[in-house]
Amino acid sequence: MIRPASSLARRAATASSARRTLATTARRCENLPKSTSPIVSKLNFFNSVTGDGTQIPTYRVLDGSGKPLEGAEVPEIDEAFATRMYENMMLLPALDNVLYNVQRQGKISFYMTSYGEEATIIGSAAALDMEDEVLGQYREMGVLLWRGFGLDNVMAQCFGTSEDASSKGRQMPVHFGSPQHHFHTISSPLATQIPQAAGVGYALKRDPARRSKHIAACYFGEGAASEGDFHAGLLLASTIPSPTLFLARNNGFAISTPSTEQFFGDGIAARGPGYGIDTLRVDGNDVLAVLSAVRAARQRCLTQGRAVLVEAMTYRVGHHSTSDDSYAYRSRGEVEERKRVDDPSGRFRRFLEARGWWGEEREKEARERAKKGVMEAFRRAEGVGRGELGGLFEDVYEGEQPWNLVEQREELGRLLRKYGKAWGPWKNELGKFRGEGRDVMGGEGKSA
Amino acid sequence: MVSRLLLSRFAPALASARRPAAAVPRHAFMGIRRYATADTEQHTMTVREALNLAMEEEMTRDENVFIIGEEVARYNGAYKVTKGLMDKFGEKRVVDTPITEMGFAGIAVGAAFQGLRPICEFMTFNFAMQAIDQIVNSAGKTYYMSGGNVPCPVVFRGPNGAASGVGAQHSQDYAAWYGSVPGLKVVSPWSAEDCKGLLKAAIRDPNPVVFLENEMLYGGHVVGLLASYWQGQVEKEGSDITIVAHSKMVTHSMEAAEELAKEGIKAEVINLRSIRPLDIDTIIKSVKKTNRLMIVEGGFPISSRARQFDYLDAPVERVTGADVPTPYATNLEALAFPDTPLITKVAKRALYRTN
Repeated sequence: MIRPASSLARRAATASSARRTLATTARRCENLPKSTSPIVSKLNFFNSVTGDGTQIPTYRVLDGSGKPLEGAEVPEIDEAFATRMYENMMLLPALDNVLYNVQRQGKISFYMTSYGEEATIIGSAAALDMEDEVLGQYREMGVLLWRGFGLDNVMAQCFGTSEDASSKGRQMPVHFGSPQHHFHTISSPLATQIPQAAGVGYALKRDPARRSKHIAACYFGEGAASEGDFHAGLLLASTIPSPTLFLARNNGFAISTPSTEQFFGDGIAARGPGYGIDTLRVDGNDVLAVLSAVRAARQRCLTQGRAVLVEAMTYRVGHHSTSDDSYAYRSRGEVEERKRVDDPSGRFRRFLEARGWWGEEREKEARERAKKGVMEAFRRAEGVGRGELGGLFEDVYEGEQPWNLVEQREELGRLLRKYGKAWGPWKNELGKFRGEGRDVMGGEGKSA
Repeated sequence: MVSRLLLSRFAPALASARRPAAAVPRHAFMGIRRYATADTEQHTMTVREALNLAMEEEMTRDENVFIIGEEVARYNGAYKVTKGLMDKFGEKRVVDTPITEMGFAGIAVGAAFQGLRPICEFMTFNFAMQAIDQIVNSAGKTYYMSGGNVPCPVVFRGPNGAASGVGAQHSQDYAAWYGSVPGLKVVSPWSAEDCKGLLKAAIRDPNPVVFLENEMLYGGHVVGLLASYWQGQVEKEGSDITIVAHSKMVTHSMEAAEELAKEGIKAEVINLRSIRPLDIDTIIKSVKKTNRLMIVEGGFPISSRARQFDYLDAPVERVTGADVPTPYATNLEALAFPDTPLITKVAKRALYRTN
């Protein structure tokens, strides 16, 4: 503190310092400009989004034996809707069983099962509107089953037949897509669908026919949520804003990485409030809780026109894919125990039975029907061949094919005409295409 | 060979003590439109105005077209290319975003999947690296991989290549990077005519288009010809040597052509414009006439689009940027890119008129 020499200066200094003290006191009581953040004078670090340092609670309706919890509100459903949900929860693993084994037999190149996550997928699918735009990651075939995509279409994509409308034989199995069912084509790189979903939601908001009617629903795993795209997508859907529902399937594993190594915070739900969006954590193995949660979340999304985040806690019973053997990083015992203790289908079945909506006879019949349907579709798909060879060059661009592709197609035609019958490997491959490559070689009758 | 190259690179600096003058004035005129006067002066516009007008016209024509990016709305664009558009069309059609290229490129791609026609502006294409997965893997490949179910009519635009004094991470030329991705269309316009015509064509195109502008050209009244879209343009006819260039390098090549004309050499300058699809026919037609080919490109040597041709009397000359991250110091930066004296010198070498 400067002490001025003369008395005049001293009086002026005292007066001005008194003014300064008054002003500082007044400032200390106010908030920061344009902010309601309370001012505190004690250092207090926090790292939990709940007020008391506990984990974010998990919403549940049915207990482990399918009985509604005390005080829980069972969602509005009738017998037809409930049994439809259950039958889809049965169809999904029936399909998975066959296609997993078909891959092991070498008939398809790859497959991913959804074991353990049936309630998360079917429950959320049932809560959405049939015309809500869905952008999945790769374990959401259940949404397509719910929407009536059909087993034939599933088989066509996995086998890459000429009937594959999802990808015309250009993608790995499980990369489904269907504009008719409002299901965006699956893309391999993780989490790219997250900001894209924000864009889809934005487009829906801009469309007077669909605004306030439909949302974009985006699925991803807890591992994919580590990608930069996750941050980017939620940030944009919360700021632009756009009516996008983000559904995180926290199934405990990202291939071999357990969720305890995937993040240090309280799961994915803890991130939602970081973006200022309504967030909920739900028991993903309780199909009625998922149904309620996603219905409510969807409604908020529509009303607010902004992102909403739901984290469904579940468990990946199966391997990551046919390229993975999960017993290399977790014990068989752990898996069996989880299956026993928390089986989403069994839990719901007991609820249905308590209501008198299901029974042993129906179970047997439904199981057989599902299996039969899958086997029929499988056998049929085995008999449908591939598409035409020329499809290789199509759809790189919409509109006129660029000169370099026309040139390459003609070059391939020349090579096939010259060597197509003479060289064994090419001859074998050509035989698998519809038309045996004649569309590229230049019509019927043209030979080497 | 190495020493010759070294000599070529130092020649400009030795030839003139001062820094070679840029083809376009560094100070931007901020788009003062000149109307037809009593003189024979043409009505011209700057490259920036041309881009602005193209977007305005397309947004008026189709309400699905919208602009998204950083600083595009209230700030009128980091380089003022979107000036006035928020005022005219409102915040729903010109959307400011938080700082995440991955985010707004992703949201643009998703909006395009759902039927809108976004124009996604990157502040420079160097920052688009943070969104390259969305551009290459999603925008570029989805139409093909979805069996024709999901088109992606998005335009990614912004400044590309050399600027001035902005260092390596603001100066790279990505034409060859994007040009190697099937599924993308890649355009590198030069003149105001190019910019207006090609941007309108790009916005209307159902495919994803990477539209590579150049910051140094924005303020210039660059006059060129526009006969067609997606094809190269012969900007100056000649019979002795073909110079193929794109974007700012066309300016240097045109100047070099004038220099060469003083020595009686008639150079034909092709403004490549479309990197993918690459217009080989125009180049071949020209090389058949001149029998000598020179390619001038701002990017690094390994990525430049040189090809071998059958009609040559001399080896193809490639003039490219130096194989280094662009230095910051003005003198070093000037040496890192091709310029007019260098192009002139190499052209003469192709004509066997110099070492």
